[in-house]
Amino acid sequence: MGGAKVRDVLRMVVVLTLIAVASGLILSLIHRVTKGPIEYQTIKFVKEPAVKKVLTGYDNDPIADRKKIVVGVDERGGPIELLIFPAKRGTETFAVALEGKGKGFGGLIGVMVGVSREGELLDIGITSHTETPGVGSRVRETSFTDQFKGLSTKKEIKVDGISGATYSSRGVMAAVSQAVGYVNEFREEIF
Amino acid sequence: MSLKHEFSKGFWEILPPFRLVLGLCPTLAVTTSAINGIGMGLATTFVLIFSNLFVSLLRKFIPTQVRIASFIVIIASFVVIVELVMQAYFYQLFKVLGIFIPLIVVNCIILGRAEAFASKNGPILSLADGLGIGLGFTISLFVLGCIRELLGSGTILGIYVMWSGFEPFTFMLKPPGAFVALGILLALMNLISQRQARKGG
Repeated sequence: MGGAKVRDVLRMVVVLTLIAVASGLILSLIHRVTKGPIEYQTIKFVKEPAVKKVLTGYDNDPIADRKKIVVGVDERGGPIELLIFPAKRGTETFAVALEGKGKGFGGLIGVMVGVSREGELLDIGITSHTETPGVGSRVRETSFTDQFKGLSTKKEIKVDGISGATYSSRGVMAAVSQAVGYVNEFREEIF
Repeated sequence: MSLKHEFSKGFWEILPPFRLVLGLCPTLAVTTSAINGIGMGLATTFVLIFSNLFVSLLRKFIPTQVRIASFIVIIASFVVIVELVMQAYFYQLFKVLGIFIPLIVVNCIILGRAEAFASKNGPILSLADGLGIGLGFTISLFVLGCIRELLGSGTILGIYVMWSGFEPFTFMLKPPGAFVALGILLALMNLISQRQARKGG
């Protein structure tokens, strides 16, 4: 009796472990296969429209010419990477688009920012946000985002907030400031 | 216990959301348009077919005491596969269905079929069962999606079909509208069943 019970328990443990291991192996394989396409899809559907909005007058493909730079280290010592989308005329990069993040009312707001080589803000586009629909989400309207056009990267980024959506407006400003900060700090690598 | 019967029972006899009234969470949540219904239905069908197949193949190998845990691991693996593949190749659909894809894991239909059918029957019958139930589920979501999309936004599969002065019932796109549409469909199905029963006897 006792022996049979131990065998039953062992069998349960072994079977469940085998199933879990097999599942883990298959999933890691699938993850490896889909990793590239998933990254591509996020760039295509989330970043590309914003990049196209903030950059104009280029004759290259900013998405295909994107590069990655390391802008810092996270808590676990891993590199924090930032995607840079260059706008070129011929071989000269005259402007870049890059994404900054800022804390809004409902979480982080992602903002794509276009910056010219001369240090002028070209335009911004919201890539991701979780702000209240109809209130904080109004930061996506052009009447708000157009205010950023022509600001200098040398000065503090400040525009008129939307009344009733102060936190969201500040979040966008913080995101733009972060992107501008990256441009100022890593100028050599970016241009 | 014929193959044909195992396949076809999912379309009427035990049509999941209406007859078994199982899997209501995705049924009500994602059917705001016909295409969402199809996407959710096909994702569920995929998981159902493969979980049924593997549960059936492993049924003699899995000890009864840990069967539910094993079924869930198998189901969850296929759900993650669906999620990754959808994200990689059907990104827009993935964005709409979002949170409801991982929730397929806890869809009662799938665990229900694993427990009630696949763990007691051979792989071929289980495949037929999974395919039938899955397609039945897909069609149900499609019909529900069509009704809600037609009344809620005046389109079917994104094509505008109502007259030009049509004022959409946005209520139908909200959760209460889902319950109303489901209730009406259930009533209709019961009506048809009653008619059939009366004719038959």
